[in-house]
Amino acid sequence: MKKWYIEKGDQGDVVLSTRIRLARNLEAYPFPVRLDIEGKKKVCAEIRDAVQSDGSNTFRWIDMASLTPSQAVSLAERHLISPEFTTDRDGRALLLTEDESVSIMLCEEDHIRLQVMQSGLALEQAYDIADKIDTMLDKRLQYAYDERIGYLTQCPTNLGTAMRASVMLHLPALDATGRISSLAATVSKLGLTIRGAYGEGSQARGSIFQISNQITLGITEQAAIDNLRAITLQIVQQERTAQEQLLKNEAEIDKIWRARGVLSSARLLSGDEFMELASLVRMGAARGVFNLSLEKINELIVNMQPATINAANGRNLTPAQRDAIRAEAVRTAILTQGDDNV
Amino acid sequence: MLCQNCGKREATTHIKRVVNGETSESHLCAECAASMGYADVFSGFGLSFGDLLGGFLGETPAPQNQLGTGSRCRKCGSSWNDIVRAGKVGCADCYRTFYDRLQPTLQRIHGRIRHTGKAAGSAGTHAPVQEKTAEELREEKIEALRKQMNEAVAEQNFEQAAKLRDEIRGLEA
Repeated sequence: MKKWYIEKGDQGDVVLSTRIRLARNLEAYPFPVRLDIEGKKKVCAEIRDAVQSDGSNTFRWIDMASLTPSQAVSLAERHLISPEFTTDRDGRALLLTEDESVSIMLCEEDHIRLQVMQSGLALEQAYDIADKIDTMLDKRLQYAYDERIGYLTQCPTNLGTAMRASVMLHLPALDATGRISSLAATVSKLGLTIRGAYGEGSQARGSIFQISNQITLGITEQAAIDNLRAITLQIVQQERTAQEQLLKNEAEIDKIWRARGVLSSARLLSGDEFMELASLVRMGAARGVFNLSLEKINELIVNMQPATINAANGRNLTPAQRDAIRAEAVRTAILTQGDDNV
Repeated sequence: MLCQNCGKREATTHIKRVVNGETSESHLCAECAASMGYADVFSGFGLSFGDLLGGFLGETPAPQNQLGTGSRCRKCGSSWNDIVRAGKVGCADCYRTFYDRLQPTLQRIHGRIRHTGKAAGSAGTHAPVQEKTAEELREEKIEALRKQMNEAVAEQNFEQAAKLRDEIRGLEA
């Protein structure tokens, strides 16, 4: 089955993906911070039974402790789980659909972290899917909920709707022209936050950023989504204008073609170099400098992360081995693309 | 010191783990740390967002009427200090036990203190939040009026201030 991230969605030249995450807890158990491993296992089993009680096989059950470190980190590289979820894996589990668009982390910061991913800008669709699963679970489980302050979460920053909506954006031109920090200041005034692709404190490799709602209490899910959508569309417009401005410069066009040249001929490609060049090539493809499918580049950006390469090869590779495998995969992908502009 | 993983970049992330009394140390550069799953390296290593939040919570002075008994959650045993220290709440009942003390923090984080989104369905619990006693409500009202009075004085609106003062006296009587 095709994975969700391979499609190119709405506003796909700038928006890579949309994610809705709902945090829920069971009334009967303390939050994970006050549970030992046995307690966590009990919570996981109770939620698994609730999810599978209709006899459907929609979700695959993954005991996090049974994975190799590479397999676990690979899940985080694909944004199916948080980086934090890869560290202490005992007593934690993951429920995952086949196309990987829905994942449910059990005993992360909260008992339930339900996450729906869609390609491109698709906040309503993603929320709709998350909402339906949440309503189904609500019928089968006793949620920790309070009429005054909403869904009760381990961290008070998530109280209320306990919904985090985010969009992943590719902003090479705004990044290159040093406008991200002023953008960050602006969006924070609007109750949103912008940060690197892998969440809190992570660096924005390849100019990939995520923007999400910060406030969850006293605002409806719909209002938070509308807000995020409106701001995202503005940023998308700014990025497009910035890209067009940037590409009026012959030196920038040259940089993009050179990046493509390296990606289609290199024999060793480190993760950093790949991300930097792929970002330039993606901008070239988005603005029609050459014909190259964005889907292909999106897929490479996901599949060429270090742990994902390890996991795909079923063993731990040395960085040099990995760089060779990466170079070959990227070369093949770029060279097999039809191109009438060369 | 160079990163133990790539051996190229300066190690900036130093991780010391003590598992069952055995200490192990790793020194990584930011990139390797991120790629090995320590991207959110500050969580769980003592400098987490929880600590910042703890700072947030810690600024909240304990109201007089909450000292003494009832300062531990009856379900999970967390005290207010435990919550402040961890920056994390212990269980659903903690929110009910420490509801009043959390209000200023919620106000600071979210700007609002009342949920307006989706409600848990009939299967969800609706355990009642402790209603404020008449005494608490009266004190709150007096506090609010006193604030208004001070503002009126600051604006030299003495007529209004006098009116508020009389209202406060009436409530205090």
